[in-house]
Amino acid sequence: MDLLASEWIKTRSIRTTWILAAGAVLVTVVVSLLGISGLMAGWQADLPADFDPTGVSFKGILVGQILVATLGAQAFTSEYATGQIVTSLTIAPRRAVLLVTKLAVTALVALATAVLTVACSLGASQAALAAAGLPTADPTDADTVRAVLCAIGYLVLTAVLGVALGALTRSSSGALAVVVTVALLVPALAPGLPGALGDLAGTYWPTTAGQASYTTTGTGLLTGPAGLAVMAVFTLWTTLAAHLTLRARDA
Amino acid sequence: MHTMNPVTLQAHALQKRYGRLTAVDGLSFAVRPGVVTGFLGPNGAGKSTTLRMFLGLDRPTSGAATVGGLRLAETPHPMRVVGAMLDARGVHPRRAAADHLAAVARAGGVARSRVPEMLELVGLGGVGNRPAGDFSLGMKQRLGIATALIGDPAVVIFDEPLNGLDPEGIRWARSLMRDLAAEGRTVLFSSHLMGEMELTADHLVVIHHGRLLADQPLAAFIADHTTEHVRARTPDRPRLLEALARAGLRAAPDAARADGIDVEGAGTDRVGRVAAAAGIGLSELTAVRESLEDVFLTMTSTQKDAA
Repeated sequence: MDLLASEWIKTRSIRTTWILAAGAVLVTVVVSLLGISGLMAGWQADLPADFDPTGVSFKGILVGQILVATLGAQAFTSEYATGQIVTSLTIAPRRAVLLVTKLAVTALVALATAVLTVACSLGASQAALAAAGLPTADPTDADTVRAVLCAIGYLVLTAVLGVALGALTRSSSGALAVVVTVALLVPALAPGLPGALGDLAGTYWPTTAGQASYTTTGTGLLTGPAGLAVMAVFTLWTTLAAHLTLRARDA
Repeated sequence: MHTMNPVTLQAHALQKRYGRLTAVDGLSFAVRPGVVTGFLGPNGAGKSTTLRMFLGLDRPTSGAATVGGLRLAETPHPMRVVGAMLDARGVHPRRAAADHLAAVARAGGVARSRVPEMLELVGLGGVGNRPAGDFSLGMKQRLGIATALIGDPAVVIFDEPLNGLDPEGIRWARSLMRDLAAEGRTVLFSSHLMGEMELTADHLVVIHHGRLLADQPLAAFIADHTTEHVRARTPDRPRLLEALARAGLRAAPDAARADGIDVEGAGTDRVGRVAAAAGIGLSELTAVRESLEDVFLTMTSTQKDAA
């Protein structure tokens, strides 16, 4: 408990934490609204048959997740960059305990950030859709509720993944490179992969599967919680790798 | 003042290799409570690596570095056992000094009220709200010392604690280390400022190329590694040189002074008696004491030759 409180003091006393959290909210809302303004342009007035008013509200997560993952990575990378890690490991020499504590504090900060991000993005997007006379999401619909919860869960998992990547790479730029590759590059390139490989990557790549979880239409085989579960398993393995690396390497 | 439960640091055949480079090569020594132990060695001797192994930051290739018989990660309350400052960089530069100490205090279950106390103790009372990155090197050292001491640890490890301190700060750090040892704590500090080490340390652990050169009280270390050396001045240098040579002493004219003579391997009493017996007047007779720095430099340079 003491270590948890200690990590919380460390997290809250660095302005970067709050800049990244506020940035994630802002960027997600703006990018979602930009997506909707694209729909409102006259030449795109013909909506696709499977138009998903919930899913479009979360389009901005694609960019916002980068900031959330960076927020997570900071937990370790800022300590390695500044030498603070020496102090941290001297007062908490059991590295697995330090890792778990950092994961817990980051997950809590990410949860608050995710709730705010998802609420603002959904609210703003629905308002924009309604103003444009486009279909809006039904807040009482079970699929909408599920998508909202999955979006929050996805962002929290992204932050946890960031912590693990921070521990593995020990460098902000290294962690960022991996995050961008995993969350943006591979999903963008997957459709170009040949045949079965492309289908597989387009469905089961962890962030792609995770992002499908907060649409109400889903993409192909994986919908909702199943997509989030793929992301969760990937995050778990990465965290395990971070644990083993942290334990084996000299600080 | 309170007394501590004594805790001993111990290196057992400690070895650390980085690929083909052996940084620490079979070190065995103990650092005992109640005295200030100086950790001495030229740059690259393996001092920092050894200190990092005591703290569990680096893992020994073989052997062990223990604190009270346990590896630090095995001790139930690490902060009560060891406080350390390895370099002044152990602090996030954008975090306020008071927040940094509050986080450390909280991790060890230490009362929040210790934060202003410690800031006051290290002379940072007025600047706790400033980010550590704004501090001078000396102020960072002070914050590092506060970080090490906030948990009231039985063992204190400082790597180059005097770096960046002004003369007043150096005197303060010196008396702080002596006080910590007087309270029964185990105090281990490294420094390349040998004059300061000579004034502060009671005991020395000297390493070179990762191997132990000496583990003994400071005074004994200097006595063991210096020969008696006397400087004499006389108006009648040729006769005194002759008299000393006849008495079997190694005497040589002092190149810097026309009337000076250097005698090695004898004390002032012996040189004085030889001069008196020969009826030669002396204008000066001084025992030249070698400093720790002289001893250390001679020692490490002969070691280099031997290697």
